Amino acid sequence: MVYLSFLLRRMGLSVFVLVGVLILTFIVSRVIPSNPAALYAGARPRPEQVEEIEKKLGLDKPLTEQFRVYLADLLDGDLGESYHSRRSINTDLSIFLPATLELVIAAVVIALVFGIPIGTLAGAYPRSPFDYATRFVAIAGVSVPSFWLALIAQSVFFSQLGWLPLGSRISRDATLFYPIAAQTGFYLIDAAISGNWDAWFDALHHLILPALVLSAYPLGVTIRMTQASMLEVLSETYITAARAAGLSRPVILFKLALKNAIMPALTVVGLSFAYSITGAFLVEVIFSWPGVGKYVTEAVLNVDFPVIIAVTLVVTVFYIGVNLAVDLIQALLDPRVRLI
Amino acid sequence: MAILTVENLRVQFKTPYGAVYALRGIDLALAKGDILGLVGETGCGKSVTGRSIIRLLDENAQITDGKIIFEDNDLLQVDDAEMRRIRGNRIAMIFQDPAAALNPLFTIGQQINDVLRAHASEAREDRRNRIVELLASVGLPDPAQMVDVYPHQLSGGQQQRAMIAQSLAAEPDVIIADEPTTALDVTIQAQILDLLRKLQRERAISVILITHDLGIVAETCQHVVVLYAGRVVEQGSVAAIFADPQHPYTRGLLAALPRPGGRGADLKVIPGSVPSGLERIVGCAFAPRCEHVMERCRQQQPALAEMGSAHLSACFLHASAQYD
Repeated sequence: MVYLSFLLRRMGLSVFVLVGVLILTFIVSRVIPSNPAALYAGARPRPEQVEEIEKKLGLDKPLTEQFRVYLADLLDGDLGESYHSRRSINTDLSIFLPATLELVIAAVVIALVFGIPIGTLAGAYPRSPFDYATRFVAIAGVSVPSFWLALIAQSVFFSQLGWLPLGSRISRDATLFYPIAAQTGFYLIDAAISGNWDAWFDALHHLILPALVLSAYPLGVTIRMTQASMLEVLSETYITAARAAGLSRPVILFKLALKNAIMPALTVVGLSFAYSITGAFLVEVIFSWPGVGKYVTEAVLNVDFPVIIAVTLVVTVFYIGVNLAVDLIQALLDPRVRLI
Repeated sequence: MAILTVENLRVQFKTPYGAVYALRGIDLALAKGDILGLVGETGCGKSVTGRSIIRLLDENAQITDGKIIFEDNDLLQVDDAEMRRIRGNRIAMIFQDPAAALNPLFTIGQQINDVLRAHASEAREDRRNRIVELLASVGLPDPAQMVDVYPHQLSGGQQQRAMIAQSLAAEPDVIIADEPTTALDVTIQAQILDLLRKLQRERAISVILITHDLGIVAETCQHVVVLYAGRVVEQGSVAAIFADPQHPYTRGLLAALPRPGGRGADLKVIPGSVPSGLERIVGCAFAPRCEHVMERCRQQQPALAEMGSAHLSACFLHASAQYD
C-alpha cells in the first residue's frame, strides 16, 4: 500500500518534468534564428516557395496555435517529419532506437554484472593488490576516450586476432541467407523469438566489441561507486554485529553489506544509460552501428529541427523512465525510502 | 567453575601517534551462569576486552600477549573457521546502540533467520516458528507480526529486545553485552536489564555486562571487575565490593554516585583524568589521581592481592597494611 502511493507520487512528478521539457524544446525550436521553411525548401528557394512551405508546415499561425498542433500530433504518437530527408521520424526511430538500446543495454548489463562484484571485493579488501588493480582499471575506464578505445579494440580483435567483426549490427551473409524477421527491432530478441539461432549468434558476435567499448565508462563508475560505498557500509555497527553473530563472509559481503551499498552505483549507471542513447555517437560511427547517436548528429549538422526535438523528447522520456526505475528499485531495497 | 577465563590479555593499537596500550594485562574469570560486570571509565579497555574475546577488534589492533580460555580452548589460537562457529553460536554479543546494530534493510525475522541458518540445523519451515518463539521470549508484543517488521518501525527498547532475540537464536553459552542500555532511556533500561537477568536465570547463560554505570552493576551482576587504564584494579563479588571497596579508584567511583536525598549537594569527583594509552605507564596508573599516593606507587606496579574470599585489589595500601 505504502509502496503503491510512493509509486504514484513519483510518476506524478515525472509528468511535470515531461511537460516542462515539451514546452522548452518547443520554445527553443521557435526562437532560434533560422527559418525552418527555408531549410525545408532546399537550396536557394524563391520567397514565394518559402511562403508556401510556411503555410504547409503551419509556421504562419500564432505560436499558441502551433503548440496546440504540435501537442496534438505528439498525443497521436506522431513525432513529425524530417526537413532534410522528408522521412517520417517515427519510421527512422523505429530502426535506430532499438539498435542503440540493444547496444546501450548490453553495455550497462556488462557494467553492472562485472562492476558490482569487483567493486564489492575491492571495498572488502582495501589497500590490497586487487583494490589497487581495480582502481587502475576503473580510472582508465572512466578517463580513456571511447573513440580511442574503439580503435584499439578493432585493431586487436579484428585486425590482429580476427576474432570479432569490424562493425555493423549483422553480417551480410546473415541478412542474405537467414534474415531476421523484424518485430521489436532488437536483433537478439527478434532472432530468438523466431528461433533463428545462426542470426542470433551473428548479431551477438557483432554486439560484443561495441558493447564492451561503450561499457568502459559505466563499468569504471560502477566499480568506484560500489567500492566507495562498500567501504563505508563495512564500517557500520550492523556489519560488526553480523560478524559477531558468526555469519559467513560471503553472506555479510554480498547480502547484508551489498544491499546497503548498491544504490549509488545504480543511480549513476541509470544516468549514464540515458546519456549513452545519444552519447554513444562516437562508438556508433566507428562500429558503423545504425543508432540514434549517428542519426541525431546528422540532424544537428543539417539543422533538422523536427529530428532534434523528437530525439530530445525521446531521450527525456528515457531519462525520466530510468530515474523512475532507479527510484522504485531503491524503494524496493530500502523500506525507509517509501515514506518520503 | 569458570566457563571463560582471560589471562594476562594485552592489546595495543597502532595509531599515527604511536602505539596505544589499551589493555596492559587483564585477568578475569566468568563463572558459569553468572553475570559479570565490567566497569570503568571511557577508554579503560572495557569494550576492547569484550571485542578481544570474540576476536573482532579493529584492524589496527594487535593482541600482543595473553590467553582467552573457553572450554579448554584458547580462543586466540583457534583458526578463523572455528572462531566463526563460536561467534554467535557459543558466544554472542549485544551492542550499545540497537538502531545501529540492526541492519536497516532487512526485517527482524530475516536477520534472526540468517543466524539460524549459520548455526542451527532446523528446516526452513521450522525456522519461522522458532523466530516467533524467540521474539516472544524477549517480551516483544505480537511476535508473529514482529517477524516481518523492519528495525526503523520499532522503538529503541523493542530494537534492543530484537537484538537480544537474535543473540539468543543459536543458544549461546556466553553473551557479551556491551553497554546494552546506554542508548536507551531509564525506564526501558530497567526492563532490558530485567530481561537479561531472566534469560540468565532461565537459560543458564553466562553474561559479561560491560557498563560504566555502577548502579546497573549493583542491580544486575553477581561479580564485578573494575578496570582502570587497561588493568584490573579490583574484582570480587558485588556484595563485597559495594560493602567494602578496597581500591582508592573503586572508592572514588562509589563516592561519585549520586545519593538519594543528596539533592543540591555537589557530586564528588575524582580529580584529574585517565592517562592516555600513548605513554608507557610506570608504577600504578592511578597514582597521579590518588589521594593516598606514596613514593612506591610511582615506581612499581601493584599486583592483585587477596582481600577476602574472592575479593582482589591491586594497591600498595593493602600491602603496607599487611606487611607493616
